[in-house]
Amino acid sequence: MRNSSIPKYLNNKIGWLYVISGGLLLGISLLGLFYSSVTVTVPTILHIIIDKTLNMGWLTNIAKNEEMIIWNIRLPRVLLAFCIGASLALAGAAFQGLLRNPLADPYTIGVSSGASLGAVLVLFFQVSIVGLGSFTLPVVAILFGLISLLIVFGLVRLSSKSLAIETIILAGIIVSAFIGALVSLIISLSDRESMTQIIYWLYGSVGMRGWSHIQLILPFMLIGSFILISHYRELNALALGEDAADHIGVDVRKGKTFVLIGASLLTGAAVAVSGSIGFVGLVIPHLVRLITGPNHRHVLPLSMLVGGSFLILADLMARTIIAPKELPIGVITALIGAPVFALLLIRERFGKGANK
Amino acid sequence: MIRVQKLVGGYTHSPIIKGLDLEVKKGEFFALLGPNGSGKTTLFKLITGQLPINSGKVSICGKEISTLSKLEKAKKMAVLTQEVQVSFDYTVEEIISLGRYPHQKGIFKQLSKKDRKVIEEVMEITQISEFRTTQFRLISGGEKQRVLLAKALAQEPEILLLDEPTNHLDIKHTFQMLNLLKERQQTTGLTIFAILHDLNVASLYADRVALLHNGSFLEIGEVDLLRKESQLKKVYEVKVKSQSHPTVPKPQLLMTPSHFSSNRLFNFDDSYKIKQGEDYLHVQFDQPLRTISNTEVGAGVQWLKHFCQFQGPHSDIQQLMTKYSLPHEQAAGIMTAVKLEEMVMITKVIEDIHMMVIVTEGAGKTINIMLYIDAHFTDGALVDGYMSAVEAKVKVLHDLHYSQTIAAVASTDIVLLALTQQGTKIACAGSGTVVGRAIGQMVYGAIKESFSKYIEKVH
Repeated sequence: MRNSSIPKYLNNKIGWLYVISGGLLLGISLLGLFYSSVTVTVPTILHIIIDKTLNMGWLTNIAKNEEMIIWNIRLPRVLLAFCIGASLALAGAAFQGLLRNPLADPYTIGVSSGASLGAVLVLFFQVSIVGLGSFTLPVVAILFGLISLLIVFGLVRLSSKSLAIETIILAGIIVSAFIGALVSLIISLSDRESMTQIIYWLYGSVGMRGWSHIQLILPFMLIGSFILISHYRELNALALGEDAADHIGVDVRKGKTFVLIGASLLTGAAVAVSGSIGFVGLVIPHLVRLITGPNHRHVLPLSMLVGGSFLILADLMARTIIAPKELPIGVITALIGAPVFALLLIRERFGKGANK
Repeated sequence: MIRVQKLVGGYTHSPIIKGLDLEVKKGEFFALLGPNGSGKTTLFKLITGQLPINSGKVSICGKEISTLSKLEKAKKMAVLTQEVQVSFDYTVEEIISLGRYPHQKGIFKQLSKKDRKVIEEVMEITQISEFRTTQFRLISGGEKQRVLLAKALAQEPEILLLDEPTNHLDIKHTFQMLNLLKERQQTTGLTIFAILHDLNVASLYADRVALLHNGSFLEIGEVDLLRKESQLKKVYEVKVKSQSHPTVPKPQLLMTPSHFSSNRLFNFDDSYKIKQGEDYLHVQFDQPLRTISNTEVGAGVQWLKHFCQFQGPHSDIQQLMTKYSLPHEQAAGIMTAVKLEEMVMITKVIEDIHMMVIVTEGAGKTINIMLYIDAHFTDGALVDGYMSAVEAKVKVLHDLHYSQTIAAVASTDIVLLALTQQGTKIACAGSGTVVGRAIGQMVYGAIKESFSKYIEKVH
């Protein structure tokens, strides 16, 4: 009796967690769509969205400006916030599992620094590549992110044959530090206007991006998420250490490479479209792991849902606290994230103390 | 099952394994022995494929290891090492389900019904079902190792490779673990290849052993090769003595630490005290003596300091020993019907050997002989000396025409021989040798004196 009832109970619990996270996401999304300077009623919002997605053309009785606000400004903003939050949280969860270090985050291995450098260069030189137009910045950022991933990989390959965890972390830190110095250099060389622009970009924002940026991040997000979620067993196995993972038949090198690529795609794309938004990738996986346990099969998808919701909420706060002006979203995530993380640490310590 | 041919390999350019040949048969428990740095772990890693092979071949189940994919390998062969660090708070069941990795199929691989069944079975076998939802981090070392064994068994392997799996475990958990493994080997025909540190444990559990030294095998064979003391001494550079397990027909090794090898000599005549009460006699030596005896307490071959006789009848000798605060772990003791005040004690130096004998004897019915000798006897000499003492006893009784009586009472007679084990080793103490004759002389003399006392009294 006992044997069969426990896994069932667990499955139910996990099932409920998915339902609750999904509900949370929907609720927060609606809140993000609803709460702003111009009030549009919830039924109207739903009406607009359903009509637009199904392309039915029954919008005659709804004011054109409301339709514009919801469909062209707020919905893409909420969706983008979701994509970025989900990407960062998923990448963070994967990095923490891969590096077996709960303090790792999507920025640990330097991809984001590369992407930032690309973006900063575009802002500094005010260039625009023919054919890309306003896409120049995110495209260049993603390219730079990938280049920095290659540099990190090259460094790791040169110094350790087996892709040792310590080497990956060290190479990431080296590359990040170097690129960080370059970014600082560019900032110090730039004039007042582009300096403001650069710094504002570095804080991160999901506003004023529109559908085009969603189109840009979506393929990376889908591919990256697929790679990571399909490697959940490898991430679980790596918790035993690489030798033990090898003994149960895991191709450790291949697994690590795939996870690195998947997580880097997510991070690079997220940073490229929104700037570097901190703490989502660190805190959200932690929070999820506390509730679900460390099994990556659930940690990965739930991190996406919760991370997405969190960033929508953070964006909502960023644009309402000092409305009509906006705060950088990175500031909000850090202001919420750091105390939450501190609480988690303290709680964990006391929790462990009570158990032992 | 595992076949190693002319294997050369190891780290960097200088191979640690230098041309090994080995075959482990199906269903065998094979132990790999050798000191640290002899190449055990390197050989192990060459078999698991963690280290590259320079030349030669390793095959498992008839297939060369380099032709097998990681998944195919993991289906045939599972590995259990010393405790691993698990990051994050995985539960016991989650850890075990990782063992199903090589058997899972599809893109988003989930645990199938069969997987769950196997997981239940291995938890049952290793008796960890009750911890299934406990965090791995929170269970004890012995339980952790059982969980990792369950994970290895969940792979449903034909071969289990063990790398010092009981290294950090206490005796209880070590034997629990090995009993479990042995039972698997015997009931399911699991082939076990194990690196073991403890030679005595290897002797008890392994079917065959290999002794590795500097990257090559000194010997492969039955565990009885552990009886070759000089070979072990050469490999481990420790003084080793091989004995048989008292209840199991397997060799057990006893190590001699260097501080015992240097013999500090003591003066035999000053090294003991004799206390005599109305109903007890107690001889206490400063140093433990090597003894051979058939006493009630402390029988067999032992190292003892206290030698006591109590005048009975009394039901419990242990109680009496406690009463006089004699430690029974360090004592030889008997309960006897003879009058202890009539004991005969003789000290003598024969051929430079100091000796002391105590004979207690009652009306020609029971004769208790305790003989202390300042000499160093091998185990063989100990038995020789014992015989020499008995022969002398028989001779004196015969000479005094008491032969009929002994036959009736011999079963309660006590003979104890105790040696200081200092000086040069004596390998033979039969009645034809110098020592043997000396023993005979002591025993003969003491019994004769005791009898003459008795005869005097009677007449």
